[in-house]
Order: sequence, then structure tokens, then C-alpha cells
Amino acid sequence: MSERPVLAVEDLTMHYSIKAGAVRAVDGVTFSIERGQALGLVGESGSGKSSIAMTLLRLLPDNAQILRGKILLDGVDIVPLSEERMREYRWNRISMIFQAAMNSLNPVYKVGEQIIEALEAHLESAREESIERVRRLYDVVNLDPGLIVRYPHEYSGGMRQRAIIAMALACEPDLIIADEPTTALDVIVQDHILREMRSIQAELDMSMIYISHDMAVIAEVSDVVGVMYAGKIVELGGTADVFHSPIHPYTRSLMSAFPSVTGKKRELGTLTGEPPNLLDPPEGCRFHPRCPYATDVCSNQEPPKVRRGNHWAACWNPQGE
Amino acid sequence: MARYLIKRTLQILLTLFIFLSIVFFLVNAQPGDISHVYSLNPDLPPETRAKLQDLFGVNEPLWKQYLVYVKNTLTGNFGVSFSLYPRTVADVIGERLPRTLVLFLTATVLSFYLGFALGKIVAWRRGGWVEYGSTIGSVTLYTVFTPWFALMMIWLFAFRAGWLPIGKFLDPVEWREAPTSANAVFNQMIITMIVLSVAIFAVFLFTTRKRVAGARLIQAGSIVLTAAVVAGVWIASGVAHLAWDIVEHMILPVGTLTLISFGGAMLLTRNSMLETMREDYVTAARAKGLPEKQVRDRHVARNALLPVVTSFVFSLAFAVDGGIIIESVFSWPGMGQTLISAATTEDLPLAVGAFVFVGIFVLVAHLAADVLYVYLDPRIRY
Amino acid sequence: MAVSDSPPTAPRSLWAVRAALAARSFKQSWSMFRGTRIGIIGLAIILFYLLLAAAHPILMNTVWDEKIYDPVVGYAFDETRQPAPPSWSHPLGTDPLGRDVLSQLMYSARSEFMLGLLAALITVSIGTTVGAVAAYFGGVVDTVLMRLADIMIMLPGISVLIVLSALIGVEHFELALIIGILSGFGGTGVVLKSQALSVVVKPYIEAARAAGGGPVHIIFVHIVPNLLPLSFLYMMFTVTGAIFSEAVLSFLGLLNVRMSWGLMIHTTESAGYLLQVGEYWWLIFPASLSITLLCSSFYLVGRSLDEVVNPRLRRS
Ligand SMILES: Nc1ncnc2c1ncn2[C@@H]1O[C@H](COP(=O)(O)OP(=O)(O)OP(=O)(O)O)[C@@H](O)[C@H]1O
Ligand code: SF4
Ligand SMILES: [Mg+2]
Repeated sequence: MSERPVLAVEDLTMHYSIKAGAVRAVDGVTFSIERGQALGLVGESGSGKSSIAMTLLRLLPDNAQILRGKILLDGVDIVPLSEERMREYRWNRISMIFQAAMNSLNPVYKVGEQIIEALEAHLESAREESIERVRRLYDVVNLDPGLIVRYPHEYSGGMRQRAIIAMALACEPDLIIADEPTTALDVIVQDHILREMRSIQAELDMSMIYISHDMAVIAEVSDVVGVMYAGKIVELGGTADVFHSPIHPYTRSLMSAFPSVTGKKRELGTLTGEPPNLLDPPEGCRFHPRCPYATDVCSNQEPPKVRRGNHWAACWNPQGE
Repeated sequence: MARYLIKRTLQILLTLFIFLSIVFFLVNAQPGDISHVYSLNPDLPPETRAKLQDLFGVNEPLWKQYLVYVKNTLTGNFGVSFSLYPRTVADVIGERLPRTLVLFLTATVLSFYLGFALGKIVAWRRGGWVEYGSTIGSVTLYTVFTPWFALMMIWLFAFRAGWLPIGKFLDPVEWREAPTSANAVFNQMIITMIVLSVAIFAVFLFTTRKRVAGARLIQAGSIVLTAAVVAGVWIASGVAHLAWDIVEHMILPVGTLTLISFGGAMLLTRNSMLETMREDYVTAARAKGLPEKQVRDRHVARNALLPVVTSFVFSLAFAVDGGIIIESVFSWPGMGQTLISAATTEDLPLAVGAFVFVGIFVLVAHLAADVLYVYLDPRIRY
Repeated sequence: MAVSDSPPTAPRSLWAVRAALAARSFKQSWSMFRGTRIGIIGLAIILFYLLLAAAHPILMNTVWDEKIYDPVVGYAFDETRQPAPPSWSHPLGTDPLGRDVLSQLMYSARSEFMLGLLAALITVSIGTTVGAVAAYFGGVVDTVLMRLADIMIMLPGISVLIVLSALIGVEHFELALIIGILSGFGGTGVVLKSQALSVVVKPYIEAARAAGGGPVHIIFVHIVPNLLPLSFLYMMFTVTGAIFSEAVLSFLGLLNVRMSWGLMIHTTESAGYLLQVGEYWWLIFPASLSITLLCSSFYLVGRSLDEVVNPRLRRS
């Protein structure tokens, strides 16, 4: 670990304020990513995955506040940066592939134009150079360069997704966040695109954050996995470690819900109960109302971090070993 | 795209046809139908009356009358006005239609331009007194009793301040020794306006499309230049003071009509912007690190424009009514005032003729908005 | 009746269930409506004018002498000069014909409400029927109705009324009828049709059809009631349109009415006091302001109902 991590997030806490109170969507999240590494974030719907992504780009709605924590990009904390300075970081340093990729292209402009627009916001290059660059990007993502002058509605779903990836690559960022990059695509296209993304990432030595509720996708593409529950990362470690010897009971139940990942038969019943209300999350361990291993202490004290090498989980009653 | 436009044109022609039929039905459905009105009208000399009866096929069966009516309408033959006898309806309309078109188009373009520009800003800076104040202002303008508002404008700017004339199209004193008729001067003014706007539009289109360096400077320069040329030509023509007289008479009605439509346009833009701001491509544009202004104008406003254009079609009828009221209060001798005075003097042929033209005008505007929409939205292909 | 069609296992009749649901959603909607503020302002204005309208007959029967205060044929014998400025006996002065302005204002308020209500009822009857029929039958019926709607939307209502006033005498009923037709077959019908489209795909429509319900039965018993909340919203905009049109037409002197706010301004105009806004403000302001206020009040109520019905417009 001689090199400084590309991204280091420390104790990041973000709330949305709504009439009923504060939605604690991101709560004390800490992790870091090395150059060339892919981090997968997995968790149920509403666990705060997209919220983390949007916080990293500081693209939050008006009702959101970052209460605590640091986002260190190459050692620079971007949380206190002015909006104007922040603009230089967006796309140039961190870009994003959005959850609703289908809708993240503006229907009234040609797709190529929308990529050039991103280039022009950050690079001082002549228009011809920009066009040439888009052409190369289309090559990288296996799109016909003729499509550059077409409108989004003339693209198929898979083509649009590729164009979005090309757009994310445009400024050669250090980090790309892919929020459910393939959820809306059919399985075959999904598989293709994931594999392509993986190889592009390796080739360009970029860092990635993959966000998905699909364990299979995360297992396929990431080196490191973080499991999210109710705004917190509850387990973090190498992909193999987390999937083969999960520590946290929540991770275990997620595993059993996806038997294809572990190859084992379901040993636990699938998750019962509702995900917690982030307006008023449970005391102590947020998972305790649904946890089959819960003990008294779980319901009133924050669980400690249990470490096994580079792999940790926050739990009073760690599993495995 | 072409197919879509052809389809819309055919639809609008069909609509026009149904519209004409409704008018015919209305005119004939009442007890003393138009033929009686004609034959009983004491103002008409007998030979004219006979000619008119021939023209309308009054003695023919109803369906033939209908065909004759459609033919007459399509050839612009609406008969003779009672109140302005012996002028024909077509003649009266020919004189007044341009005045209405200029009043209405100038006010509409201005109000939508201003309403869009302000609505954009208001939606972007949500909350605060700017949004509150402008929303209240727009609702007031939107629901204010139009004649009263027009009256207050006259009272304020013409009667009290004395900056502008009180109403009408021109000042007869100025025109007593005029070498040409008001209409001739007015037509030249219209041509000037068209040339001016086409030139400026072309420059804008060229500079933004080709991304010419120093676009702003070129645009400003071209505006000044064309304005100077136009001013020069007018001064050389020797009737510039007459044209100015008409312009002076136009300012207040155009301004008032602009303000009235402005409120609706602004509210519309604001709502449309607020909805568009939630789109994912707007978040994506922000994520790309584009400057706020570019996100607002290129991504949000550009897309918010589409529903605004659509609603414009729905508000056309409202705007035309507004124009008619304004004409009447300002004694602006256009189609609206013609319609109203024809109705008050029971000059049926003129009223029907003016109404048919108002209808045709709305349909054409509808078609224009369609064309604009196709131009603005690349998704429409058939 | 509808009751006989409800399944025998249902403990309560269809209408009772509907009423219960309506009451619940009414409570929710009301609290949302209250949150919009503009709706409350609108409602307050409407209430104010309702009170004015209700007070007029009472005043006429108690303190106001009919000979002096009758809005149409009264004459202020107690004033030496007409129009007289506001005084204790005539709080808003008198008009050029010596009639009490306040009495005219209050008397007209009632007919404005009646007109608005009538126009709104006609609009909604036509609009819901058109919407439900177009959605239920689809096909040719739908096409014809929607083409017709195109025209109605494009027709400038006031111009139509002006022409009609030359052809036939237009009074309040004709006015309400024409506005109802224009809006019911036009904009309101189109909106209600899109709402009805989401109703016709509901399972209970299929069930009703399977149970042998005819089109008329299904349209009026099952579809139309579901359109009523939305049509209530459009009633508000119709009322605004009706009051506005009435005012314009009577201002132009094209309407056969005994007294109305528009006519009050018309009288001012024909007597030549129109531009003397400063000296004779009571001849212009009370009536004009009333038209503006009542129009905007219904518009504001409609707007905030729109926010209640359309979650898209709600503030985050
Ligand atoms: N603008 C907002 N205002 C208030 N609450 C919000 C807002 N955006 C998200 N939330 C809430 O924050 C929580 C986390 O949402 P987030 O979108 O981050 O979840 P997610 O893990 O990405 O879920 P999914 O898998 O469905 O995308 C949810 O409870 C959500 O309701
Ligand atoms: S801390 Fe307790 S409740 Fe939470 S996961 Fe561990 S065992 Fe379950
Ligand atoms: Mg998400």
C-alpha cells in the first residue's frame, strides 16, 4: 500500500431532510479504493447505494446535507470545495454511469454532441479533435462510429448503454461509478457489457465502483465488496472472502437468497421482515429486528468491527470460523 | 417528418371544413336565416339584393346553399357589409387583417420570449421572494379582467403621463397631408419587420450553429447594422414620421397584450422547467461538470420548451380572445374590433366573415406551432 | 339500480363503499389542499363574495329602501349629483344613473355564482360523458369525438359568443350552455377521456361487463363516478372562464342581462366616465376588481386542486 488510494471515504454521513424528519441515507461510511481496483456495493433497494454515489459527485438535491466525513480524491477532500471547483472534479476525475441509463441521454441532442459537450467542459481541444476522440471511444465500446450523429431514440437499449459508457470514459477519469449499469438490459446483453467494462477497466487501469442489488453481477466484476444495510457498510472485504466466508449475518442471508453465488443450497430462510425505515432506524445494530443471531446487546449498542485480515464486518456475533 | 406534417395539414384542413360547417349551421339554424336578413335589410338597393341572393343561392335547397357557401368562403367571397355599405366584407377584412396580425404576432412572440426567459430563471432559483412575487404577478396578469387592465394602461401611460396616444391606429392630424394611405405605409412597415427579423434570425442561426468565435459581437453588430440600414431607408422615403405615428399608436396595445399573455407563458415555463429538472439527463448533465448556465439553458430549458409549445396551441384561443378585447378597448381597427362592431350593429355578413377569418387564423397558427414542434423535437419522425 | 349489481357477498352496497372511500380521500385531499396556501386564499375570496351575495336580499328587506337601492331601477333621491361619491348611505357611491354601486355589486355577485355553477355543471355533464364514451368505445367514436374536441379547443370562446350575440340574443343560460359545450366537448372532455382510459382497464369494468352490464350502465355507474374528482377540478376553471366571458360580453354591451359587473363598467363607459379613473374610481374599481378577484379565486382553487390530484406538480 505504498500508493495513495484513488478515493478514500471517511465516516461519510449524509441526511435528506423531509417533513417527517431526517432520512439517514448514508451513515458513517468508510472505505477506500486503490488504482485499478473495482469495488462492488451491494444491498437491498433503499439501503443508500445511489445516495453514496451521488454524494461522491456532490450531486445532491437541495434537501440533502453532508453532515460529517471526508471524501479524499487523491488526497484532496472535496466536501468543502466550492461548487465552481467541484465542477472541475466532476467527470474529469469521477464520472458516472447512471442507474437509469436509458434516461440519462437528452432526447433532443445527438448522442455524439452530448459526449463532446462533456469533453468541451474540461478539455481545451478543437472540435475536430473532440470528434476524433468520440470516434475512438465508440471503437472502445464496440459502437459503430456512424451512430455519433444519431439521436438517442435511434439507439437500442444496449447501444445506449454503450454510448453512456463511452461518455463516462470520455475525460479518462480516475474513477467511474456505475450505478446498476445493466439492470434494465436483458441477460445476454448485460453479460456482454459487463465483460467489456471489466476489460476496458483493466486496460485503462481505472478504478470503478459498481453498485447493484444483484450479487451475481457484483461477484463477476469486483475485487472488493462492500455490503450495505440501512445506510451503513456492514461488511467489507475481498470478493472471495466476503462471498465464501461471510461474517455478517445479513451477508449470509443475502448469499442464501442467491444460491448461485455460493453454489450451496439455501441454509437459511430468505430474509424476512421489512427493511428498516431510515427516518427512525433501529437502535444498536440496525439489522437486529431481522437478525436470526440477534442477542440483547444488539438492540442497544453499536456493534464493533470484527477484522479477519483485510476483511471486516460490524457485528456482535460474527459468523463463520 | 414530412409525413407527419402532411398528416397534420390534412387533419387541419378537415378541422377547417368542420369549422366552416358549424358556422354555416349556426347561421342557418336560427329563425330569420341569412337570406331573410338580406332580403329584409332596407339599406340595400333591390338590384344588389338580387345579386346577393344569387350569390348565396338563397332560393336553392339547403345543401346547395351549403356548397355555395363553402365555395364562397374558399374564394374569399363573403358578400357586402351592411354597416360599411357598399364595401365588401373581403375588402374590409383585407384592410384590417394585417393590423391584427401585426398586433397579435408581435405581442405573442414578445410575451412568449419574455415569459420563457423569466420563467426559466424563476424555476431555477426556487423559493425566495422572486419566485413568490413573479408567481403572484403572473396569476394576476392571467386572471385580471382584461378590459380593466387595458384601461388602466391607457389611463396610466396615455391619459396621465401623456407619453403615448390614447387609442386608435393613427393620428388624423398627422395624416391630413400624407402622400400615401395608411395601409400603404403600414404594409411597408410589415415588410421591414419581416426583413429585419429574417436577417437577425439568420445571423443568430449561423453564429450558433457554426460556433463562430465572438458570436455575441457579430450578433450585436448585425442587429445594429440592419437597424441602421432600415432606419436610413425609412428616413430617405420621406414618410418616416407617418410610420412613427403608427408605431406610437402600436406601443400601448402591443405592450398590454404582451403583458396579458406573458403571465400564462411564464407560469407554463416555470412548471415545465420544474418537471424537466427532475429528468435523469439533467442530473447527468450536472455530473458531466457542465456550468450551471449550460445545464439550465441547453438541457432543462431546451426540453421544457416542448410542453410550452404544446400548451401554446391550447392557449391560442385564449390569446385570440385577449387580442379581440384589446382591439376593442384601444379602438384598434383590426379584426377583433370589426367583429365586435359588426356584432353590435348586427352586420351579419361582416361578423360571419370576420369570425371565419379568426378561425382560419387560429388554424394556421396551430399548424405553425406544429411545424415548430417538429423542428424542436427530433423524436417526431412520422 | 347499482346496488343490485354488487356481488351478494359484499356487505355494503357499492355506493356505500364508494362514499366511505371518498370520505377518506376527501380528508387526505383537504389537508393537502390546505397546505397549498393559494387554495385557501381562493376559498377565502369565494366565501367573501358568497357572503356579499347572500347579504343582498337581507339588506333589501331590512335597511335598504327599494326605491333607492334597487340595483336596476333604483334612484338615489338623497343625492343631488349623479354619480355621487361614496357616503355613509352609499358606501361605494352611485352610478351615472343614480343607482347604488354597492347594491349592484352585491346583486351581481349572486348571478355570477349561478352562472358559474350552471356553466360548470353543463361542462362536467358533457365532459364526463364524452370522456367516458370515447374511452369505453374507442375506435371511430373516439376519433370523431377527439376531432370535434380539436375544434372546440381551437375556437376562441369569446369570439364565438360575440358572433352568436349578433345571431341570437345571448343571455346567461345561452352563455353557460355555449361555454359548457366548448369546454365539455373540448379540453375538459379530452382530459377526462385520458382519465377514463385508466378506468376502463380496471378489472371491475370487465367484471361488470361479464355480469351482463350494458354500455350505458357501465359508463354511468362504473366509469363516470371515477371521473368526478378530476372533473371537479375542471369545474373551477370553467367557472373562471364563464365569469370572465360574461364580464367581457356585458362590458361590450352584447349580453342581455339586467345587471352584472361587466354591465356596470359598460354603463360607466357609455356615460363617458371610463378614463376618469382618478375622480370616479368607484365607477370602475369595485366592479373590475370583483371580476378579477372572483376569476382568480376559482383559478387558484383549481390550481391547488391540481396539485392535490397531480403528484407531479407537488413541491418536494
Ligand atoms: N431526495 C430524497 N429525499 C428524501 N429521501 C430520499 C431522497 N432520495 C432518496 N431518499 C431515500 O434515501 C434512501 C436511500 O435511497 P437510495 O436511492 O440511495 O437507495 P438505493 O440503495 O440506491 O436503492 P435502489 O436499489 O432502489 O436504487 C431511501 O430510503 C430513499 O427513500
Ligand atoms: S450485531 Fe447482532 S443483530 Fe446485528 S447482525 Fe450481528 S448478530 Fe445480528
Ligand atoms: Mg439506487
